[in-house]
Amino acid sequence: MVEVVVPDLGEDVEKAKISFWHYEEGDKVEKNDDVVELTTDKATFNIPAPESGIITELCVEEGEEVEVGEVIAFIDEENEELELSSEDEEEEDTNF
Amino acid sequence: MSLNAVSTRLPPWLIKKIHRNEVSLGTKEILKSLDLNTVCESARCPNMWECFSKRRATFMILGNICTRNCAFCSVKKGLPSHVKKSEPSNITEAVGRLNLKHVVITSVTRDDLKDGGASQFARTVYELKKEYSDVVVEVLTPDFRGNADCIKIVAESGPDIFNHNIETVNKLYKRVRPQADYYRSLNLLKFIKDNYPAIYTKSGLMVGLGENRDELEAALDDLITHSCDILTIGQYLSPSRTNIPVAEYVHPDEFKRLEKVAFEKGFLYVMSGPFVRSSYNADQVFNKKCDKEEV
Ligand code: SF4
Repeated sequence: MVEVVVPDLGEDVEKAKISFWHYEEGDKVEKNDDVVELTTDKATFNIPAPESGIITELCVEEGEEVEVGEVIAFIDEENEELELSSEDEEEEDTNF
Repeated sequence: MSLNAVSTRLPPWLIKKIHRNEVSLGTKEILKSLDLNTVCESARCPNMWECFSKRRATFMILGNICTRNCAFCSVKKGLPSHVKKSEPSNITEAVGRLNLKHVVITSVTRDDLKDGGASQFARTVYELKKEYSDVVVEVLTPDFRGNADCIKIVAESGPDIFNHNIETVNKLYKRVRPQADYYRSLNLLKFIKDNYPAIYTKSGLMVGLGENRDELEAALDDLITHSCDILTIGQYLSPSRTNIPVAEYVHPDEFKRLEKVAFEKGFLYVMSGPFVRSSYNADQVFNKKCDKEEV
C-alpha cells in the first residue's frame, strides 16, 4: 500500500485545498498519472500517483483543507496485479 | 465536485505537476544540510519540484528576511538576520554536490547594510569561479538603491550574467514595488552594459498585475534602450491573501505573441510563458542566446 501525501509547497505554506479528484475509489491508476489537484493561495498543482495500482481510499472530500504532509489517499499496488490477472482486465494486460 | 472547489480552480494552463521524487527530495536535502535558503522555497515558486527534480535551484543569500515591502512577494519582511560568513563556501559546496553548470544567486533586499549586501554577492561569485571556473554564474540582484559603488563590487567579482528584474510596468510601481523606482532599475542595467560590456544583462517582467498591452510594450522599449540583452516574461501569481491579487490570467497565446514582439524589438533572447520565472531554466535561456549569437 502506498500513500499519496500532500507535498511541501514552499515556505510557510501549511495548508492546501483539495480542488479536484481525478479518480474515484476503486479506480486503477498508472504511476505518474495525476490523482488529485491541490490549490494553495498561490497556485494549483496536480499530484501524480507515486505507484500504479488501485485507489483504495480517498481520505478527503473536494473543497476540504489538508495539511502539508497529510496522507490524502491510498493506492494498493498489489491489488493491481490481482486486477490485471482477472478476466476483464485482460486487454490491459497485453500492454505490459 | 463542490462549488467551492470549482471557484478556486485556476485555468488549465496554470496547473503545475509536482515532481516529488528521489532526485527532487535529494536536492532539498542537500540544500537543507548546508543551511542554504532558496528563492524557490521562500517565494513559494510553483516550479520548485520541477526545478529540484532537474537539480536546479536559485540560492538566496543574505538571509530570508527582506527589508522591503513589495506587494507581489511572499518573502518574509522584517528585521533581517546577520550575514553568514559560511554562505559563499556552502553555496560552492552545493554547486559541486548538485553538479550545477549554471548558478543563479539572488538575495533579499538589505537596505540595512551599508553595501546592500554587495560584498556578500562578490564573495560568493569569487569563490564559485575560483572552484569551478567553467560554471556560468548569474547574479539576480536588488537595486542597491542605485548606488554605483555597490553595483561595481558585484559586477567586478566576475559574474557572466547580471540580472535585475524590473518586474512590472512603470504605472504599477507605486502599488507593486513602493520602495523601488522604475528608472533606477532600468539605469542599473544600462550602467552594467556601459561599464562591463562583456557581462550579459537580463531582466524579467510579471504580467497579470493590471498592466495593458501598450504599457507592456513601452516597458519592452525601455528595456531595449537601457541595454537589456535577455528577457523573461511570466504570469504573476499572488502568493497569499495579503499580497496584491491577480488582475488577469494571461493566455499562453498572448505569452507567445509577447515573445515574438520582444524578439522583434531586438532582445538577444526571450523566454515567455505562464510559468516562466526570472531564474526558470536559466541555463537553457543562456545557451540558446549563445546559439543565436553564433548564427
Ligand atoms: S523557477 Fe527559479 S525560483 Fe522557481 S523553482 Fe525554478 S529556480 Fe527556483
